[in-house]
Amino acid sequence: MTVLRIEQVSRTFPARHGNAPTRALEPTDLTIGNNDFVTILGPSGCGKSTLLRIVAGLDRPTSGRVTLDGREVTGPGADRGMVFQSYTLFPWLTVRENIAFGLRERGVPEAERNKVADAFIRQVGLAGFENHWPKQLSGGMQQRTAIARALANDPKILLLDEPFGALDNQTRALMQEMLLGIWERDQKTVLFVTHDIEEAIFLGSRVIVMSARPGRIKAEIAVDLPHPRSYKIKTTPEFVQLKERLVEEIRTEALKVAEHA
Amino acid sequence: MIDHSDHLSMRPLDSVTSKQRVAYGLAFFILFVALWSWATFGGHVSKTFLANPLTMVQEGYDLLVKQGFVFDIGMTIWRVVGGFALAAIIAVPLGVLMGAYKPIEAFLEPFVSFARYLPASAFIPLLILWAGIGELQKLLVIFIGSVFQVILMVAVTVGATRRDLVEAAYTLGASDRGIIRRVLLPSSAPEIAEILRLVLGWAWTYVIVAELIGSSSGIGHMITDSQALLNTGQIIFGIIVIGLIGLLSDFMFKAFNAWLFPWRLA
Repeated sequence: MTVLRIEQVSRTFPARHGNAPTRALEPTDLTIGNNDFVTILGPSGCGKSTLLRIVAGLDRPTSGRVTLDGREVTGPGADRGMVFQSYTLFPWLTVRENIAFGLRERGVPEAERNKVADAFIRQVGLAGFENHWPKQLSGGMQQRTAIARALANDPKILLLDEPFGALDNQTRALMQEMLLGIWERDQKTVLFVTHDIEEAIFLGSRVIVMSARPGRIKAEIAVDLPHPRSYKIKTTPEFVQLKERLVEEIRTEALKVAEHA
Repeated sequence: MIDHSDHLSMRPLDSVTSKQRVAYGLAFFILFVALWSWATFGGHVSKTFLANPLTMVQEGYDLLVKQGFVFDIGMTIWRVVGGFALAAIIAVPLGVLMGAYKPIEAFLEPFVSFARYLPASAFIPLLILWAGIGELQKLLVIFIGSVFQVILMVAVTVGATRRDLVEAAYTLGASDRGIIRRVLLPSSAPEIAEILRLVLGWAWTYVIVAELIGSSSGIGHMITDSQALLNTGQIIFGIIVIGLIGLLSDFMFKAFNAWLFPWRLA
């Protein structure tokens, strides 16, 4: 059983060059249970990425704490896999070597890690590209490799920071289906940050809406759409209704940001 | 439509074919020799100051066949390679440590930056005092001339490693040692190889200076001897040999780097 608890976590970036300190995140509480797929939705600058980085251990909270199965997060670790928005494959490693990076770091013998890597390569549909360098892959293929790389480590929770943000719409839709397929099959605990409303609904079992400046949780909306979900669900009345509601929530936040800019 | 039919037209950042590249590069060498011939054969420059190309080739043949110049070339190459290897063995690990660990950088960087500007050639009298006029002194000149440059450049390269790659490695469970061995080193390795290639070129200039003073062998020694005999043909031949060896080592280094880091060219 995996339980991630975010307790009163806030983040203030210290003052710089005479500017006042920036409050990126108000004290926030959030609990994510086993096999939950939670999407965090908010306009840019709402602190959603900051929150995810704190969970990953790449940033430290100013106050509060994050625990995973009762153990406090003090730094990054293999139990929390992360997929970034920027392309972060190691350019000097092939697709297979990239996916096996975490296994190799743990001392898994080569034959075994290649077996695991190849299984994930098939799962994300990259068979035939095992020995390609990242440079030779399209953006979508790079992100599929990055997801496989995070999954190959068998983390307790998968953290995704707008992983499809730099992809074109068609590729993005395919990637969403692929990720959801993996989740439906393997039951993973996932925390997914996005600014795309449709993406948040399509993927999530719960959508957490965040407000901007200061960042805090504004609303939590359960998505009671049946699984397995296909792309066709995006045109059902239930989906559209949820979308309308979230559009309103996000719009007020986006307006706030625009006024302050 | 942009018209590309005119081969002589140049547009900013437009590429050339590899054939054109070779032809253009050769054209300049031909132009250079032509100017040289015009100045010497045409009698515009006195023979005492500048030998003509033909004399230079004859003197060069004489040097190689009768005067054992091959041994001098070998000595010079060994000094450059030896001093440079010594510098690289110490400078690369130190540079990596400085780039990776900021306290080490803060400790060493000011001194190394200062030492970098100390001219290697100015150390020659001191090194003769310390190490005599043997091989050690020659190696030390190369060493002093290269080591501080390599340390600083490697430190900057390693320090500029993409942060997101380091973060990705951490989230994959990498330890601090793993970050250095499996992210910082491989990501900076091609740059480090380029730095070594560059500094090796500089090392060639130091070795000749070291050989001009207190030496009994080497290309630089031959050049000083020829000066005493007013043999400009030999001097020019010596200089050209240095240039050719430099060009050759550069080519080899580039080919080696390309073979070592295929992912960069993919």
